[in-house]
Amino acid sequence: MANMAVAVGGTPAPAARPTRRNWVPYALLLPGLLWLAVFYAAPMFTLGSQSLQEGNVYDGYVLTGNVGIYPEALSEYWPHLLRSLGYAASATIAGLVLAYPLAYYMAQKAGRWKNIMLILVIAPFFTSFLIRTLAWRIILSDGGVVSDIVHTTGLINLLDIMGLTQGGTLLNSKFAVMAGLTYNFLPFMILPLYAALERLDPRLMEAARDLYASGWETFRHVIFPLSLPGVVAGTLLTFIPATGDYINSRLLGNTQTVMIGQVIDSLFLRVLDFPKAAALSFILLVMIVTLVGIYVRRAGTEELV
Amino acid sequence: MAENPSGDLRLVQLSKQFADFTACHPLDLTIPQGSFFALLGPSGCGKTTTLRMIAGLEEPTGGSIFIGDTDITHTKAYRRNVNTVFQSYALFPHMTIIENVAFGLKRRGDKEAMKKAQEALDLVELGHRAKQKPNQLSGGMQQRVALARALVNRPDVLLLDEPLGALDLKLRRQMQIELKRIQLDVGITFVHVTHDQEEAMTMADEVAVMNAGRLEQVGTPTELYDHPASTFVANFLGQSNLLTSRIVGDAGEGLLDVDCHGYPIRIAAAHVPAGVRDVFVGVRPEKLRIGHTGANQLTGTITDDSFTGVSTHYLVQLPWGFEVTVVQPNDGSPRAKVGEKVDISWDPGSEFVLDARQDEDAGLLDEEIRHG
Amino acid sequence: MSSNPDLNSLAFRAALGRGLVSRRTAMLGMAGLGVAALSACGSAGRNQGSNGTATGGASAEDLSDSEKVVNWSNWPEYIDVDDDGNRPSIDAFAAATGIAVNYTEDYNDNDEFYAKVRPLLEAGQDTGRDVWCSTDWMVARLIRQGFVQELDYDNIPNGSNVVDSLSDVEFDPGRKFSLPWQSGFAGIAWNPASTGGKRIESIDQLLNDPAIKGRVTLLTEMRDTVGLILLELGKDITSFTAEDFDEALAVIQDAKDRGQLQGFTGNEYTQPLASGDIAACIAWTGDVVQLQFDNPDLGYALPPKGFTIWSDNFVIPNMAKHKKNAELLINHYYDPEVMAEVAAWVNYIPPVQGTTEALVALDPELAENELIVPTDEVLSRAQVFRGLTDAEESDFTARFQSIVVG
Repeated sequence: MANMAVAVGGTPAPAARPTRRNWVPYALLLPGLLWLAVFYAAPMFTLGSQSLQEGNVYDGYVLTGNVGIYPEALSEYWPHLLRSLGYAASATIAGLVLAYPLAYYMAQKAGRWKNIMLILVIAPFFTSFLIRTLAWRIILSDGGVVSDIVHTTGLINLLDIMGLTQGGTLLNSKFAVMAGLTYNFLPFMILPLYAALERLDPRLMEAARDLYASGWETFRHVIFPLSLPGVVAGTLLTFIPATGDYINSRLLGNTQTVMIGQVIDSLFLRVLDFPKAAALSFILLVMIVTLVGIYVRRAGTEELV
Repeated sequence: MAENPSGDLRLVQLSKQFADFTACHPLDLTIPQGSFFALLGPSGCGKTTTLRMIAGLEEPTGGSIFIGDTDITHTKAYRRNVNTVFQSYALFPHMTIIENVAFGLKRRGDKEAMKKAQEALDLVELGHRAKQKPNQLSGGMQQRVALARALVNRPDVLLLDEPLGALDLKLRRQMQIELKRIQLDVGITFVHVTHDQEEAMTMADEVAVMNAGRLEQVGTPTELYDHPASTFVANFLGQSNLLTSRIVGDAGEGLLDVDCHGYPIRIAAAHVPAGVRDVFVGVRPEKLRIGHTGANQLTGTITDDSFTGVSTHYLVQLPWGFEVTVVQPNDGSPRAKVGEKVDISWDPGSEFVLDARQDEDAGLLDEEIRHG
Repeated sequence: MSSNPDLNSLAFRAALGRGLVSRRTAMLGMAGLGVAALSACGSAGRNQGSNGTATGGASAEDLSDSEKVVNWSNWPEYIDVDDDGNRPSIDAFAAATGIAVNYTEDYNDNDEFYAKVRPLLEAGQDTGRDVWCSTDWMVARLIRQGFVQELDYDNIPNGSNVVDSLSDVEFDPGRKFSLPWQSGFAGIAWNPASTGGKRIESIDQLLNDPAIKGRVTLLTEMRDTVGLILLELGKDITSFTAEDFDEALAVIQDAKDRGQLQGFTGNEYTQPLASGDIAACIAWTGDVVQLQFDNPDLGYALPPKGFTIWSDNFVIPNMAKHKKNAELLINHYYDPEVMAEVAAWVNYIPPVQGTTEALVALDPELAENELIVPTDEVLSRAQVFRGLTDAEESDFTARFQSIVVG
């Protein structure tokens, strides 16, 4: 079979082929590159240039190369930046803890329920992000089931002590923002994890058991390391958008939970201070890229065992 | 046995029932300590399930498993001092070769894990590959790593699940010899699951033949070959010519008179099942001779011959239409031609005798599918 | 940024119902951020009108007579809709004039909408819209920048029906550029279930009463929030100074630092107010009237020291292709009978004389609601935030927003 395919493929004019082949991959790249150039590179460039301009929206902006805007924006909004990174990290960790067992079950144990479970995971995407977040207002509101449960179990005291809630109210708290972020980005965690765990050969787990590894040791030394690509993908897909998110903090938070996305939104749309908004966007971008770079490098080269 | 407390591996009424079929009917089996034991049978016969129950990867439906006097039926897999070489090798792809081999030792907290792992790798001649990942190794090398990974733990029992199945023929032969050598070196009980009868006979001290979830026969390779207990074993292990015959009387001197389609022949009484008159007289092809050197003689016509170098294989059609295979060694005796009418003969006692009330083709179909 | 929800989808509106997504859903404006931000930084600004003295913008060739259409952008849920989903007042206009109305509910937020159309207006291009409804301060900005055209009152004979209190406003003397569409007050709303039965009737109480601590929201709309506080401080919001503004901000900052505030909202305060998660807040009349249909217990107070009144106003942008048709449309809504139909549905204050009488005929109960048909005494206490210069607007907005997101 293989020989035949070679023979058939080999017959037509071999001289013309090398040149024709060479440009085809580049031609295939072209639409994507154009798209990126127009919708990514150009706006990035404009944003960068915008951050270095001075003026106002009424009299116009002039490019003055005012790099001082960066330290200025940073000194003014560093708490928001840190808070955003902190919330996003919390949501990412919480998401990982919640998603991992579910993804594992779906990938390895669910059998014929697998597809139904996948659909259920994706189902929330059929409604808008906003609706889902607003729904959480109702879920967490006083007198709701969740509120009742944390009150009867006394969990609310723990949350209060940890500073995640105040005065026994779940809504409009750090907790609510983190919960909202966790929920909204959970599918982005589950799906890559599922994909990684589904590829996991069950015989490797048997081999581990056979080689004296308990359930926990099997997880730690075999399952988890092998699912790392999924963990990395899932955490990035959660962390990056969660850092820039401004819906959850706005709808579920309070005046102390404002995230950097809200600040940028306010600066761009309300204050019309485009340079500072652009500078802040860039700072956020650089912070995320740096953190992600460090993270991927660590996760990629070390075993984490 | 006193000096090694682990002892024999014993399966007592061990059975496994899945939702829709029975993988293993209750079976009893004792595998002597330090022996190389083969579980042989066609695919689906229950041999792998039996192995997995011993490993602890499958929960038995009934019965017990003992190593020596210790009941390990309900011991978790990771607490059994039993290791497995998997058919697919199941090497951990994210670990280096040496980490793979040291895995079991580390789980048991062995301080010298890495050193022992290196020694085990040296034993399988892969010491220089220790730092590589499994996917950088050939199939044969991976196989040896899997073996080292299991052996290094010095288990009471080493289970091998078709470990050579994925190797090409030449490598397989080489590994068979290698495995046997290692087993003799380490003295650990090896339980080797295979569907390859030649492999089982070459390597094992004892072979258990399984079919459809039951044990057909247990014995040394020679016992099984020379005295199969059923048509299945007769056909599955090597080739057999099964001649339908009837016992007609006692010939004295431990022999019986038998009528084989009109030919009077004699067979040894010792191996005839009790109380049976209609029998299959089985004669292995290499025990038949062209010419009349043996006491039992039949005549037939050669319908096919093929020369293999060491021997010539003839198909000889007997007067009632049945074809027997004759293998004549290339020992200088004259060769016959197709169409030639010949006498074939054997000496009483070199045959085996089976009850005719069973399927004469049992064990054949599977073999044909496998080799086809 | 994170995913932009599809805010105009039917599912969205069906889910939230009329109560949440009504006129001022500032929150919804966030959806436009991506587009708006990019377009915002693409071009340099130009100040076309000299301060305060508007010159009127550039006009395009009016195709009204050859193309019988008008493109109208308005806020969501801000017009009468019947049970079949039709808009009777628009249908009546089309039937009477033969002009088809392309009615688009894409005005979710003043800032967002401004960000969307500014680059086009600046470049002297058609925005694809002939008329839209902007809030007072945005109209002021549009006039200041010369982005809107003078109205031709020959096409709007009914324009004289505009109520006296709105016929001459600071930002548009003589109503040369704009005519109000709907008006409303900003006051205080509270949910008695959540205040322990307490009535929250003054700004002072709203910002200080420990009974509602942490469950108070203010509006992100600067002129309403700061305006009410200035009035509480005894300032005149038609002539306050920068110091007065600072003083008001200090009051907000203080309330925020004490943990009195839960946050700042667009009109997404409605659902939590109804459920009691917000105990009291600054709220707009139309929203409250709608909430009271389902929650008659909800309290609403117009602060004794004064309160703000705002309007959304028809304006015709530069280069609009169907200016005359747009003016005919405005004229149509300045018929009290037509306006009464709208008022009965949107529950804001109609700015057209004679609407009350028409409303009595249509829905007598509504006609008695002081929040829709305020008395002269109530109207006399309502104030309009004074117009700001470019510099003031930038400065004030920046400082107010730094508290909102601080």
